[in-house]
Amino acid sequence: MKWLKISLIPLVLSAQFAFAEVAVIVHPSNAAAIDQAEITRLFTGRGATFASGSKATPINQAESAAVRGDFDSKVLGKSSSQMKAYWSKLVFTGKGTPPKEVADDAAVKAAVAADATAIGYIDASKVDGTVKVIGKF
Amino acid sequence: MNKSLMVLAVSAALTAGTAQAEISVTGFASVYGGKVLSGTGVEDFGLGPTFLATYPTVGYYEDAWSFKPDSKYGLQFSSDLGQGLTATAQLVGRGADDYNAELEWAYLSYEINDHWTIQAGKKRLPLYYYSDFFDVGYAYLWVRPPADNYTWQIFNYNGVNAQFNYQVGDWAVGGNLYTGREDDPNNKLLSEFFGSQPVREIWKDIMGGVLTLNRDWLDLRLTYMQYTNERYRNGVRVTWDGKDTRDGTFKGLAANIDYNNWLLLTEFNKLTLDSSDFDTYMVSTGYRFDKFTPYVSYADFYSEGGEKHNTTSLGFRWDFHSSAAFKLQYDKVEDNGYNVLPDNTVNNQMVAGDSTAITFGVDLVF
Repeated sequence: MKWLKISLIPLVLSAQFAFAEVAVIVHPSNAAAIDQAEITRLFTGRGATFASGSKATPINQAESAAVRGDFDSKVLGKSSSQMKAYWSKLVFTGKGTPPKEVADDAAVKAAVAADATAIGYIDASKVDGTVKVIGKF
Repeated sequence: MNKSLMVLAVSAALTAGTAQAEISVTGFASVYGGKVLSGTGVEDFGLGPTFLATYPTVGYYEDAWSFKPDSKYGLQFSSDLGQGLTATAQLVGRGADDYNAELEWAYLSYEINDHWTIQAGKKRLPLYYYSDFFDVGYAYLWVRPPADNYTWQIFNYNGVNAQFNYQVGDWAVGGNLYTGREDDPNNKLLSEFFGSQPVREIWKDIMGGVLTLNRDWLDLRLTYMQYTNERYRNGVRVTWDGKDTRDGTFKGLAANIDYNNWLLLTEFNKLTLDSSDFDTYMVSTGYRFDKFTPYVSYADFYSEGGEKHNTTSLGFRWDFHSSAAFKLQYDKVEDNGYNVLPDNTVNNQMVAGDSTAITFGVDLVF
């Protein structure tokens, strides 16, 4: 299995060089306790409400955004390609609609700050008082 | 349900939607080339070396390179009409049909609450795990879902579907219940491949359900459907043992594992038609090296009536682009449908003979 190990080395290296932390954020008024499993549920369309029962509106970042790949791999545990395949299956069979996408960290922050039901994610260094961090990955 | 009326309603809803809501357009496409490397064909039918890649749409390869059998495109138009109501239409054009675009899906969706959605119109018949997204190559591993399993001649229906979605502990529990019918005036598989006379194929009183259980790396799916079959060959009603209809039931189980980059995909199905069984199963495994996923697959078809065939496949998927995947697949088909009976007569239930074939191409979504 030597060839297998060799082919995995670049993956391990690239993972180590991804320094940026992803902060998952909600509106400051949102008091719900939200763990990784629940974030995954909301961002994969398997749930539409927070554990409290109130409506949840996930906000995704555009594919071109730097933090998108980190969120997909660290929080959802999938590559962006896998997520795209997953959503293709749902969209073309009438079983689901992917979360709304906005352009970048600033747009997510603005959307989350303005909507009590919103949940999004941004580069952890961009967090400020307008939003509440519920987890860093 | 009146088919053209439903399509009209969906079109009207889509057009009406433009006034207030925007129509979102999404799509998919597959471009594949392939050829038979070796094959026996079936002498009795005057058939040369042939690899039947997709039964329902009759996509097959022969000795010369062809880019039609697995190539297709789809365009989906969806309009959110507000208050939980959505109209969706999907046009699909397949190389096997000379790329003529057909309205494959046209339905209205009404979201009753967070858990239940009712849909009415024309939809894909959700028999097998991959039936629903059979055309969307980007969403699965292989060039095409294993042909020996996906042999059904009716793949859409007109009717009503109720789908649900719940969270039970760590399990995502979903599924749907549906009822409807399909009347295919000129069934391609029965008219062109299994015969040479026009066949009108009717599946009526369709009733079925699907249950999916999903947790972490495990994905389970159970399916059941029953229907009544009516058939006209050359305009003459076909009878089976003196009866002019026959009843079928379809049962299936799929179990998929995606763990630490290992993939294991399995599916087991049984169709019982007038107490005669058709058993199919497939097992695939692969390993995901980041963007590169090699796989092997085995699929088997066995019927009590004598049709028996299997396919062993070897291939890889390479996610070379964020919206596109390149795939290459080698298939080896064994057709064991030539049955010599105890009284030395022959029951020839061969499909296309043995063959080996190569296919490669690209799937994309947009």
